[in-house]
Amino acid sequence: MTHLDVASHTGVHGWGDLADDPTAAALLDQALAEVSGDAEFADARLIECEELRLYHSMGADPDERREHNAGIGVRVLVDGAWGFAARPLADVGDPARAARQAVGVARAGVGLGEPVRLPGRAGVSGRYETRVAVDPFEVPGAQRHALLSGLLDSMTGPAAVRDAQAGVNAKRQHRHYADTEGSRQHQHLMETGAMMMAVAADDHDVQRRTFPNSFHGNTGGAGWEFVLGLDMPGNAQRVGEEAVALLTAPVAPAGTADLVIGAQQVSLQIHESCGHALELDRILGDERNFAGTSFIGVADVGRLRYGSPAVNITSDPTVAGTRGTFAFDDEGTPARRTPLIAEGIVVGTLSSRDSAARAGLPVTGAARSDGWAYLPVCFSTHVHLEPGGGGCLDDLLDRLGDGYYLDDNRSWSIDNRRLNFQFGTEVAYEVRGGRRGRLYKNFSYGGVTPRFWQAVEAVAGPGEVRNFGYPCGKGEPKQWGFLSHGAAPILVRGQRIGVA
Amino acid sequence: MTEFAPAVDPARALEELSAVVDGVVDGNAADACDVFLTGRVGQYTRFAGGRIHQPQDITEVQVMVRAIVNGHAARAACGGLAGLPAAARTAARSAAAIAASVGTPGRVRVATPDLASDLAPGKYSPRQLGGEHPQPVPAEALLVDDATAAFDTAERVDLVRAAHAAAAARGGSVAGMVGRALTQLVVATSTGIRRATLATEAQGGFTFEVGDGTAHVIDLGRAVGRLGLRDAIDGAAAQAAASVGRVEAEPGEYTVVLGPEATAELVSFLPAFGFSGELAAAGVGVCARRGGERAASALVSVADDALADVGLPIGFDIEGVTKRRVALLDKGIVGSPVTDLSTAAALDVRSSGHAHIAREEAPATRAANLVMAAGGDTEASLIAGVRRGVYLQRFWYTRLVDRAATTITGVTRDACFEIVDGALGRPLAGMRFTQPVLELLSTVDGVGDRRGTVPVMNVWNGATTAPAIRAHGFRLGAAPASRNGTSA
Repeated sequence: MTHLDVASHTGVHGWGDLADDPTAAALLDQALAEVSGDAEFADARLIECEELRLYHSMGADPDERREHNAGIGVRVLVDGAWGFAARPLADVGDPARAARQAVGVARAGVGLGEPVRLPGRAGVSGRYETRVAVDPFEVPGAQRHALLSGLLDSMTGPAAVRDAQAGVNAKRQHRHYADTEGSRQHQHLMETGAMMMAVAADDHDVQRRTFPNSFHGNTGGAGWEFVLGLDMPGNAQRVGEEAVALLTAPVAPAGTADLVIGAQQVSLQIHESCGHALELDRILGDERNFAGTSFIGVADVGRLRYGSPAVNITSDPTVAGTRGTFAFDDEGTPARRTPLIAEGIVVGTLSSRDSAARAGLPVTGAARSDGWAYLPVCFSTHVHLEPGGGGCLDDLLDRLGDGYYLDDNRSWSIDNRRLNFQFGTEVAYEVRGGRRGRLYKNFSYGGVTPRFWQAVEAVAGPGEVRNFGYPCGKGEPKQWGFLSHGAAPILVRGQRIGVA
Repeated sequence: MTEFAPAVDPARALEELSAVVDGVVDGNAADACDVFLTGRVGQYTRFAGGRIHQPQDITEVQVMVRAIVNGHAARAACGGLAGLPAAARTAARSAAAIAASVGTPGRVRVATPDLASDLAPGKYSPRQLGGEHPQPVPAEALLVDDATAAFDTAERVDLVRAAHAAAAARGGSVAGMVGRALTQLVVATSTGIRRATLATEAQGGFTFEVGDGTAHVIDLGRAVGRLGLRDAIDGAAAQAAASVGRVEAEPGEYTVVLGPEATAELVSFLPAFGFSGELAAAGVGVCARRGGERAASALVSVADDALADVGLPIGFDIEGVTKRRVALLDKGIVGSPVTDLSTAAALDVRSSGHAHIAREEAPATRAANLVMAAGGDTEASLIAGVRRGVYLQRFWYTRLVDRAATTITGVTRDACFEIVDGALGRPLAGMRFTQPVLELLSTVDGVGDRRGTVPVMNVWNGATTAPAIRAHGFRLGAAPASRNGTSA
């Protein structure tokens, strides 16, 4: 492993150059020193990232790519105005350059609006490393290829499967953080994931099935053991066959029905109607021009009935192994468990230091950014629905009686206040007398966020909880957020179905 | 003034990329090789709540090498030229491992010079965009606009102040983002292709809010002067004021006039309906099943057009292939899909120059500069031709529901109005819609003469440009219900 030689004035070339704390500290200190006479507050994030992606696609050659980058983002508060600049680390002068740029853009905004006053806090320092049993970057390439080749073969058995794709991904990062309050942090994060998708088509229809998550697969904060635990080979044939079966399945009916919603679709419901709705910067209007606002207001915290008493939703980045797991958020706030919805009542938000100060609410440590190049904004962490007393999935189906069991998101849309939603799933099954029956295609349901969650009668127990890693987008320019939602199946009554 | 220079010196980039591709092949590390560099210097002034809350200067660089051994490829990327040799070694090593593992020859090839036939290395002619008589942009040009280069932080903050003043004059507020960027693309291949381009970009988007009324305006392009942001500010502020007191429309089918932003949202879905090389090669979607058939009104022509003088034209793709104009809908007739080298080979056609690599996904073709042809009507005349209908400014959170039926769902947002006897009537609250897109486009009987451009998410250098349209049978669903929360 080579380390960046600060004295050599060369940049970062390959993985591990920023593994070293003294090297990172020197670069971060350079940035903070550059603004010491100008900024009342500054923080700097120095990040090295390497990502590995391998895909096998039907009718195409395998595609493998490994991407490395390193850079610094510097945020400053100058006379009550924010400034931010980010640069790749081409040479050791870049931290100071970024810092000067940040001061320059901050000065341009001084005097426009109320000055930002960030409550001070004591510096927090520490190190964190993702627990990894098998380093995905050390897994032999032949093993990765063999896995995906086998998945593709299994999915594409039926002739009606016209397209299929299987992939694995891994990312490792050294995330260094420093601020003018004395914080010094180093997080060595690792994530690993896998995906597969089959598309079946005939003269009249196109249908797809995915596993284990319909949003680019599932990724966890773990090593290769996460992929092995997904049992991809055990599901590949089913994915292909179900895609084909959907072609001739009847279209799901319209009307009103009781539903048991599977864990994957519940995780999407959490993401869209709870996670985003509780981002405090959104609540305060910062995202009004693009991502939108929220039906929840600051004054609703502690008061608003969002769901039924069975609904308890928590932000907890300390849960090990998820894509939303970390020890510090991207402005140095230590990770903590924060109830967001308690027995159906809104009790917390996903906040940053700036948004919390403006709203007079606690800082929950949800300021997150896509690498070094983007400003931290409020994103979900690991936001999950607490398991309930509903037992296992079969127990929920028994309790449902007659209705539908559905899972795996196919289509998702919600308005700019996170209130009016319409979601579709890849599969739905008729349930009669608690027994799963006929397969339906093109199932959709729609409603209004609090009405939906208030109709939740039961949440399955801890044995049914699954965590799903998601990519998400926010901000202008758009940046990616990487996060997680945990969910168990839920029983919800009286939903409008067949809306699309 | 903030520094606004290319992320990487173009001449040095071309030189070092060339050395790497030659070195990889000459050293027998791989049979063939290509490499691209994307650079972007983006400077953005984002504001809301009366303050600039996210001023950002962001410089990003990626250099990606693809090495090919016995027809099998692997890629490795780094964040600057210094890491390029190591990336090349990684790519070559990985490609060799894949080739050894598979045993049989693969099909991956790099572009041949005939696919870069417009290539004119060293002969880039600076062209000014805009002006009273804008000329079509040559396929490969230095797309640098001086006014955009001068659209610095101070200029942008001044625009923000003007927006605040316009909102305040109507008792409202405004949020938005204005920015400029300098984008570069450099490509070298072991087959001798050498290409470099540099392009400015300006963008402005504003959401005005007056009471319960809102209005949105957005545009982007290579030249800030073409966007008319200052003029648009006052109009949008007035529109927000006019949309106060919104009512819910009855669900049903309506004659609609879609503003340029709403039309662009629909047009952006065309690739997902089958105008992509992957879908066409799989025999799925419109191109595969309805090629040459009428799928839209004869007033509807949409192309992915790197030669357009609107949107974000750029001359070639990351494989070095010259972008060809691809007609998706030509006067309503189904045209061709966009392709890259891989899908073009599968379809036995020439690549149209639409290779793309998105985050979190396998490489896939992307339409990057979709442009719908303008018509001859003003937006006012389109509205004047409607006895009873709705005007919709903006769609939001649109998603594909049914690929075969080309159905999408989404919600309406911002300044929407009922149309009564040829004039805008009461402002309308946001509503859900679920609509087959081609079915709607087949009913278009009027197309506006002014176009607007919106960015396309997750597509590098992606934009869609469209005019207003008038169409029939648009299905508006139930209006969003009021919040049903009760205090504990």
